[in-house]
Amino acid sequence: MEKIIKFSGICKEFKIYQRKKGTKGIFNLFKRDKKIVHALKEVSFEIEEGDIVGYIGPNGAGKSTTIKIMSGILVPTKGTCEILGYNPWKDRKKYVKNIGVVFGQRSQLWWDVPVVDSFELLKDIYNIPNDEYKQTLKLLVSTLKLEDILNRPLRQLSLGQKMKCELAGSLLHRPKILFLDEPTIGLDAVTKLTVRDFIKYINKEWGTTVILTTHDMSDIDALTNKIILIGRGQLLYNGSFSAIRHKYENIKTIEVEFKKEYETLQVDGYEVISHNKNMAVLKNLPTIQFNTKEFISEIGKNYEVVDFSIKSMSVDEILARLYSDYEIVGG
Amino acid sequence: MLYKKYLKMHIKSSMQYKFNIFLLGISSTLVSASEIISVWLLFQSFSSVGYWGFYEAALMFGIVTTVFSCVECFARGYDEFPTLIKEGSLDRLLVRPVNIYLQIFGSKIEFSRCGKILLGLTVSVIALCNLSISWTIWKAIVLILTFICGILIIFGLMLITAGVSVFTVENLEFLNILTHGSKEICFYPINIYTKWLARFFTFIVPVACFNYLPLNYIMGYGDLPQILCAFAPLIGMLFVIPCFLFFRWCLKKYQGTGT
Repeated sequence: MEKIIKFSGICKEFKIYQRKKGTKGIFNLFKRDKKIVHALKEVSFEIEEGDIVGYIGPNGAGKSTTIKIMSGILVPTKGTCEILGYNPWKDRKKYVKNIGVVFGQRSQLWWDVPVVDSFELLKDIYNIPNDEYKQTLKLLVSTLKLEDILNRPLRQLSLGQKMKCELAGSLLHRPKILFLDEPTIGLDAVTKLTVRDFIKYINKEWGTTVILTTHDMSDIDALTNKIILIGRGQLLYNGSFSAIRHKYENIKTIEVEFKKEYETLQVDGYEVISHNKNMAVLKNLPTIQFNTKEFISEIGKNYEVVDFSIKSMSVDEILARLYSDYEIVGG
Repeated sequence: MLYKKYLKMHIKSSMQYKFNIFLLGISSTLVSASEIISVWLLFQSFSSVGYWGFYEAALMFGIVTTVFSCVECFARGYDEFPTLIKEGSLDRLLVRPVNIYLQIFGSKIEFSRCGKILLGLTVSVIALCNLSISWTIWKAIVLILTFICGILIIFGLMLITAGVSVFTVENLEFLNILTHGSKEICFYPINIYTKWLARFFTFIVPVACFNYLPLNYIMGYGDLPQILCAFAPLIGMLFVIPCFLFFRWCLKKYQGTGT
């Protein structure tokens, strides 16, 4: 597959002016403290055509900045970016014809007019031929089940309906790349599934490359195996999610109930997370491969166990763990 | 043309709030009307300022109100540029394959200003009928150019405030001195002000180019060279060019800094 997004050595710095707090700030009308914030530091990655890539990271990691650079809104301080053979900010007008962007909670549709009218305007903005427009619209309407809401103004729609319309609106011109900034935020379970299925559908049918940012790890689980992890403006990981998952899957949390109360608790190869009276929560050290039988024999040496339960890490926990691990590495 | 489609969409949108727009239109028209009444009251006690009587002042008022409201109506997107930035709508506009300036024009059209445009035009026409002017074709052309020049200069001022808001995000109130202040200045002949103020509004922010100077030519008043007054609107129009360049620079800066 061809690499359609080449992002190399991108740095983005913001200058922030801070005024002194309190009444002192009044006197500093012209003298302000300048602070440079590095939103992105030497970020490089490549994305192949037809991929669905999850772009993840904690809040304030630089996700939106990256999306904005990739969609030609912001110009990076340093580095080069080539998407579909274009430079997003230099060839802006030619380039943006080929992309669709959905920004989480900001609408591109008109508030007071029927959704279909907004679509008509987009048709003119993107100069879509009539036949193609009709065909695409029909397809989008049927796959996203928009029949009933197409003629209602946006302000009457629910959040989920709005998001579906946003998606349809940004795909009318059949973009080669679709950027989604938190597409499932605040959606109910059914709509979430519809949106996910839809993203998968257009990826398969049209070969659209999809880059999505999300905090909902089930999105990543359902849609993609490729993730790019970013934290504090630095690229931390670029690869398959299952590899990361595998790494952390081994770590189990074990809740144990003892027959009587023990003063101290120590089990070889396990970390004690909490210990209260006759209850305890343990975790195996990453160095040992968890095995139920071995655990029982190990803990049974010194303690009398009544009951215990084993839990694997949830996707969210894996991610939280990942963030904290990398933050230690990154300092 | 795309702008026409934008216009259609705005009309459709506005139709949702017909009554609201109507009331807004009435109220802003009344505010403007009160301004012309205050000018009239002033002339009741003064009767004239130099050569200038009430109808001359009314004509100036008419021109200024018309051009100001035209700009407020059709260039509302530039007027409300800070909101465009704050709400992230500018980002939306930037991911579309259409000229960004056209899109900003299309982002908001304020139909409630139509009342003020009508008021301005009506006052201008009444004033023109009551003034004894020996019309020539050149004077008519200068009059039309005066309106165009006014629109361009006020639009230029709006571009400057919009541009500055890229850095401040908030619309700075003191910059309203430029836009609204220059509007107030225009109600009276510029030579009544102190020299530095008159110079400022002739050479730096050339609002005199769309009222005092061309009217001198049309009326045949004043001690200023007539030919200079006739060409004033044409020269004044050029003001919009540096304003536009400044705005373009600010927009580039936005892409460099973001918010």
